[in-house]
Amino acid sequence: MAFRTGIVQRVRSFLGREADNNLSDEVRMHLEMEAAQLEKHGFSRHAARLEAQRRFGGVDRYTEELRDVRGGRAWDSALQDARYALRVARRFPAFTAIVILTLGIAIGANTAIFSVVDTVLLRPLPFPHGEQLVLLYGQNPDKSLPRFSVSYADYLDWRAQTRSFTDIAAYASSSIIFAGDDEPQRLSGMNVTNNFFDVLTAHPRFGRLFHTTDLSSDTDNAIVLTYGFWKRQFGGDSTIVGRPLTLGSASRTVIGVLPEDFDLVGQPLDAIVVLSPNGIPGFQSHGQHTLSVVGRLRPGVSLSAAQQDLAAVAAHVAEAHPDIAGWSANVFFLRDELVRGIRSPLFVLLAAAGLVLLIGCINVANLLLTRSALREREVALRQALGASRARLIGQLLIESAELAVGGALLGLVIAKFTLGAILRVAPAGLLPDTAGLDLRVLVFAVMITVLTTVVAGLWPALSATSPRLARSLREGGRSSSGGMRALQARRSLVVAETSLALVLLICAGLVVQSLRHMLAVDPGFRAEHVATIRVTLAPPRYNDTTQVQFFRDLQSRLEGRGGIESVAAANSAPIAGGGIVTNIRLMGMPATPGQKLMGAVTGVTPGYFRTMTMHMLQGHDVAWSDATPGLLVSEAAARQYWPGQSALGKRIAFGPRDTIGLEVLGVVGDTHSRGLSVDAPPMIYASYSAITNLARTMSIVVRGRGDVASILATTKQAVHEIDRTLPLYNSQSVSSLVDQSVGQSRLNTTLLAFFAAVAAVLALIGIYGVVSYSVTQRTQEIGVRMALGARQGDVLRLILREGATLAAVGVVIGVAGAFAATPLIRSWLFGIERTDPATIVGTAASLVVVALAASYLPARRASHVDPLIAMRGD
Amino acid sequence: MVAAFPVECQGERHVHPNADVLQGTLDLLILKAVSLEPMHGWGISQRIQQISRGVLEVNQGSLYPAVHRLVKRGWLDATWGTSENNRRARFYRLTAVGKKQLVEETATWRRFSGAVEDILATS
Repeated sequence: MAFRTGIVQRVRSFLGREADNNLSDEVRMHLEMEAAQLEKHGFSRHAARLEAQRRFGGVDRYTEELRDVRGGRAWDSALQDARYALRVARRFPAFTAIVILTLGIAIGANTAIFSVVDTVLLRPLPFPHGEQLVLLYGQNPDKSLPRFSVSYADYLDWRAQTRSFTDIAAYASSSIIFAGDDEPQRLSGMNVTNNFFDVLTAHPRFGRLFHTTDLSSDTDNAIVLTYGFWKRQFGGDSTIVGRPLTLGSASRTVIGVLPEDFDLVGQPLDAIVVLSPNGIPGFQSHGQHTLSVVGRLRPGVSLSAAQQDLAAVAAHVAEAHPDIAGWSANVFFLRDELVRGIRSPLFVLLAAAGLVLLIGCINVANLLLTRSALREREVALRQALGASRARLIGQLLIESAELAVGGALLGLVIAKFTLGAILRVAPAGLLPDTAGLDLRVLVFAVMITVLTTVVAGLWPALSATSPRLARSLREGGRSSSGGMRALQARRSLVVAETSLALVLLICAGLVVQSLRHMLAVDPGFRAEHVATIRVTLAPPRYNDTTQVQFFRDLQSRLEGRGGIESVAAANSAPIAGGGIVTNIRLMGMPATPGQKLMGAVTGVTPGYFRTMTMHMLQGHDVAWSDATPGLLVSEAAARQYWPGQSALGKRIAFGPRDTIGLEVLGVVGDTHSRGLSVDAPPMIYASYSAITNLARTMSIVVRGRGDVASILATTKQAVHEIDRTLPLYNSQSVSSLVDQSVGQSRLNTTLLAFFAAVAAVLALIGIYGVVSYSVTQRTQEIGVRMALGARQGDVLRLILREGATLAAVGVVIGVAGAFAATPLIRSWLFGIERTDPATIVGTAASLVVVALAASYLPARRASHVDPLIAMRGD
Repeated sequence: MVAAFPVECQGERHVHPNADVLQGTLDLLILKAVSLEPMHGWGISQRIQQISRGVLEVNQGSLYPAVHRLVKRGWLDATWGTSENNRRARFYRLTAVGKKQLVEETATWRRFSGAVEDILATS
């Protein structure tokens, strides 16, 4: 009963107004009754009223007490404190500005990184029960490639024989040629099995999607569009369903449009059709691995159980088909696969941002401690007048909270800009562009603001209101033993933040040097003035012969025109990875029993090595006039396959039925085709004519004298002279391809370096602050020293030594911390050890030197102290 | 908290020096006053005055906080009504818990004052 009444009353007094009215009614009634009685006793009406009020004794005090009893006090006093805190902030404008700036940068950085983490790692996939979705891969016999593509025949067998999945679907990316308005466009397409959307449980925005029960007659002429393509090409026209689209040679009807958030592979996608097995070269063969497979786990089935099931089925299938003997399979969560490369760097960056926030809080705490030293009198006076310690701590915390909120508001602005910059600079497809400041991110920002308030504000609040301060009123001076205690506290805080800053600096130093090493790696070819563009030559318009002829035509047409020096083509763009990986047999070499060799094969047209300026070490290039297709191998391949012998004249066979193989005509220099930080892999380059059926899409590479734009324009012109209907896409300079390959490393490094720089600046501000404070505290001591004969230089050195000591201790702890922290960035390092002494010594020494610089101003101030004034102690 | 002076003196004030009452007894007096019949704040103060034949007069500034404390503790119930002079007033009533409390406090007071009596009686 009391509880309920109490709550009601508290709410009422919280609401304030109504309760006050009640009070007045009651009081008014009382006063009137009292006045009436006094009148009866002979007082005049006027005198009676006055007397009644006098006896009542102060309505205001009474209402105050009443409010205290009823307990609505806390809210009122909080509001009062908040207003007071604003006035305090205005009294120290520089202080407020520095604090808000510090917190703004720290909170902003954390919010930006968290936004990316949230979008990439925490948000669920855009499919219902996305955590059940898995990807299935093949694995080659020697287990060197655990995430290999899957053959259509394997897919069918796995679908029939596994029991752990509700269903599995296959898909492969493809190019779809769309007639478009004027120029033919190449669309980023996907061929899928008809159960693809059912496995994902995707729903259309308009129309319908493919279903497991669809017959090929339903789907042969159907096409599903993605939201992005529909918006771009058709302007969001809602009558698109049922419309026919002219694609390449045939026409398909649009049956549906996907929702905006549909995304499986993180790459741009325009349209989806159902794959026809006939369209897959060698679709009945288990050895043609061309597809990706996605599946949905049955409810209640764990990943390891599914793995065992799948591996057993794959082994069973491999036994029955000798051409895939020894092949196995793996299954992983889709979620994990999508974030594999980015998960750990994000966490490292989040940790770094957290360290910056911690350092920022330490600085703010130090500043608050200084400011509370200035307000000692004020706080002590209030305590002497009866303010409870809790009330004062509350008020100081509200001051910290207001500063934190100010910092958070600035931080949100900074976060928005930072996020925009990150998204712009990040390599395409690495980060989803839906990262933004949404509700979850704002909640995070609020939480760290609260955390900041407590971390930065609690200790200063506690120490500012400690009972010892009452003494300062009596002492009447500003130097008290409390001041020295505070100095020690601040010194230890500054040492802590210096060590944290050094950890970040060392990590950043290592990573920056790694990036420099990476960029200095010779890719094995010359990237300047070379452009690349992709083209698809598909049947029925092109067959094996006309495909080769096209490139021959192109080369003769383009070379010499408009500054073009060299033209060729390969089935994968340089340094972009990809390409064909297949079983190879080294003819004439004793085959190791049971071991299947796999080689990476790139199809090239004559002149490729000349265009890319790759070194021809032995032999010669393939030529148009070759009677039979030939091979070239890279240096690494020659060393690996025929150690100690010349590779020229050796033969390599592909496929089990190939008894003759192709002859090695030359050896070329290594290229870092899998990335600058990865060792050059053994490469086999085959005449294009040998693999036309596997490489319908080729990258044309063109080297010329002009700029890349003009080279591309001339190339496009020449292509369209040969065939007007060919769409060209993914045009860029090879230099930008090389840049993109280090794009993620560059982004990570830039962010880490930025955090380290901010941390270092904050730490130096902290050192300056503490040394400054120390000089103030020790003014008397300095005066005494000078009176006893110390010269200005001695005092200067004394204070400088203090600053250097602080930095040095921080540095020593920081180096120890770096040893503990650098394993986390091991995967970022290239060409440098994580304990690289030059980096460690270099950063440590620079930090100490800059700390000395930061201590110089206070040291100079100290050395100019007038000993007489100092010793008077006022 | 409580001052005592004869109510018959008009326009003058006499302070009886020895009538300070211990803290807590105000609560007791209020409970007792209300136990006879529910009444509003002014009525409570009048009743205490009347029954004590003028010896005890409640400092009105401390009456209402005390009354509200009792309401918060659940010993009194408060409802709005109309007073004799047609004004809105809160009427206080003893609750069941309050009744029990009154009995307890009365017993405690009697014990206490009895002990003081005994001490004073010895000479």
